[in-house]
Amino acid sequence: MRNLWVSTSAAALLVVAATAVQADDAITVVGWGGNWDKAYKTGVWDKYTEQTGKKIVMEEWDGALAKVRAQVQSGSITWDLVSPEAPAVEIGCAEGLFVPLPEEVTGDPAKYLPGTIHECGVASDTWATILAYNADAIKGEGPKSWADYWNVEKFPGKRGMLAQAQYTIENAMMADGVPPSQVYEELRKPGGIDRAFAMLDKIKPHVVWWTTSTQAMQNLASGEVVMTDQYNARVTNDVVNEKKNYAIVWEAGFFYGTDMWAVVKGSPNEKEALELLTWFSIPENQAGFSKLYAYGTGRIEAADYIPEDWKKNLPTSPDHVKHGAVYDTAFWVENKEALEERFKAWQAQ
Amino acid sequence: MALLVAPLVLFILIVFLGPVLRFLWLSVDNSDVAGNLGRTFAALEGWQASSGLPDEAVFQALIADLADARQKGRDGVLAQLINQRKVGARFLVIKTAKDAADGKFATPPLREAVLAQHAGWGDVSLWTEIRRASGGLTDYYLLNSIDLRRGAAGEIAPAPADRAIFLDALVRTIWISFVVTLLCALLSVPLAQAIVSAPPPWSRVMFALVIFPLWTSLLVRTVIWIIVLQKNGPVNNALLFTGLIDQPLSLIYTRFSLYVAMVQVLLPMMVLSLVSVMRRVPASYMKAALSLGAPWTTAWRRVQLPLIMPGFLSGSAIVFVFALGYYITPTLVGGPGDQMISSYIAFYTNTTLNWGLAAALSVQLLLILIASAVLFWSARAVISRPRQAA
Repeated sequence: MRNLWVSTSAAALLVVAATAVQADDAITVVGWGGNWDKAYKTGVWDKYTEQTGKKIVMEEWDGALAKVRAQVQSGSITWDLVSPEAPAVEIGCAEGLFVPLPEEVTGDPAKYLPGTIHECGVASDTWATILAYNADAIKGEGPKSWADYWNVEKFPGKRGMLAQAQYTIENAMMADGVPPSQVYEELRKPGGIDRAFAMLDKIKPHVVWWTTSTQAMQNLASGEVVMTDQYNARVTNDVVNEKKNYAIVWEAGFFYGTDMWAVVKGSPNEKEALELLTWFSIPENQAGFSKLYAYGTGRIEAADYIPEDWKKNLPTSPDHVKHGAVYDTAFWVENKEALEERFKAWQAQ
Repeated sequence: MALLVAPLVLFILIVFLGPVLRFLWLSVDNSDVAGNLGRTFAALEGWQASSGLPDEAVFQALIADLADARQKGRDGVLAQLINQRKVGARFLVIKTAKDAADGKFATPPLREAVLAQHAGWGDVSLWTEIRRASGGLTDYYLLNSIDLRRGAAGEIAPAPADRAIFLDALVRTIWISFVVTLLCALLSVPLAQAIVSAPPPWSRVMFALVIFPLWTSLLVRTVIWIIVLQKNGPVNNALLFTGLIDQPLSLIYTRFSLYVAMVQVLLPMMVLSLVSVMRRVPASYMKAALSLGAPWTTAWRRVQLPLIMPGFLSGSAIVFVFALGYYITPTLVGGPGDQMISSYIAFYTNTTLNWGLAAALSVQLLLILIASAVLFWSARAVISRPRQAA
């Protein structure tokens, strides 16, 4: 771990040097880069600057909690607001890396979708892993459930599947007839995980594994696979921008996960960052991102500010969210390493 | 002279050898556990699982250790390492550390108070794992990397069958590298011979064609095979068109596609070393052998082959060693059964942050590299000896 220390402190030094030239009253927000950052800038941050005059500086990261840990421990904190995935928020909060958010900041927690608010964070975006198929390859009636995805007699052809345990064993449980809301209950029972792996055994010969979305979408486009699991916004992107004939099967059941805005403890602009989050918790402001990027919001009423025809692309729209359930952060925090290692071993056998 | 070399030596030491050794050290390093649980380990001395839960003294030591770890900000790392050995212990450790640092367990006796707050500490198997994790150095990762682990009594036992993957991966890595080297050798002989024998302008053009792919990114050269070999790709379409097959073949994400891509990527290395040696062999030697009545095959085997053998060996060494470390190509164009050791190293480094195991696997790979280097070097020594004697 100490190597990480050296490299991260070196990185931190660079960041210090880089931000020293910027106005120190600017709030530094750290997002996932690329189109995600662009959508946040246009849809949310620019509006905040416009309304309040407060400057926002954007940086990007890969979600590694170790980087926040290094800043907090070295005392040279340059990040104010970061967007880790929910399990990382859970760990970071327990370790005391993030500031607990009072209700004055977040608003009433009951007004958020389950799993989109935490003691130390509010959802920055809510993404889902869904079942998608190529309607050019499957003519007529498409798959309706994860059981159909497993059914290679009814729908011949290979299946694209994410090459990791997380997000995949949930799908296996749904294919075995477990409704999304009960998947984790079943997984926690003795033999529950074996049950998921037994289901995976059945589909294994028909799977083409993917590790990046680009690869998965290429396989779907080329006909290498007829259906695949995928992050919903990636499918929407190809449908909207590339006019592909793909369909998302929301009713098959899906799980959604959240990235969360969390304030780094001891950050130079802690107060300003909390003000920004207070502003962000207003539904209309939250909707700014989801209008541009097909990931959902935390607050339920934010949906009211999203155009009707775009809403059908979001996992959190009322029509879809009833088919979904939230990823169980606690389950994955404890089991991630062990299950990923077992999955990797299973894959190779 | 020594002064002139000094910058290079320093450079290699600082940016190459140092970090590599530091990373390899992680395969036995246990300081993040031992350094943070020193008192606990001391108190656990002599404790055995059969005697039930540890006593008050151990709990006091644990609380003192965890409070310190929390203050130093090391509780997260410690929790992660304990969770590697005992799944589910992560939050238990972090939350107990938080309470300990907050002074919640200030007045002894602590044992009952801790157990009441954090029932997880009542699990004897957790204590067994912790006890086993003592000591400044650990063989945990190195054993894991060869499908072994410590049993309940500390004896070395094979890992359960569904986890024993590394020896298979090791054999597979060596086998794939060997096949790739062999294919490269077979393909490059006629190519190199053609380049050397062709008249100069053509020779140069062919040589350039071999070099060009080296200027293209490895990723591009790998990914292009996905497009060429996929279900609706040109190869399948051509085969369907000619009527040789009536269903598209599954060519991509197989061992076949892995061999194709790796051979294509590594072939130039072999051709380059062969060409450089072949250019130094006068064409008159073969002519002489043929004119003395040897059939072409005999002449080639007994005259040409021994002369170009050094090129073969250095080419094979380069290809084999490069192939051993491949992981992007197997990840992109191979199936799950075609993954090589490096892809596991990448997996444990990036996905599960189990750097100890990643380092242990790296040690393995390094040992194979050293062994193969020694092998190639001795092979060279053997084949060059008769000529020196002559």
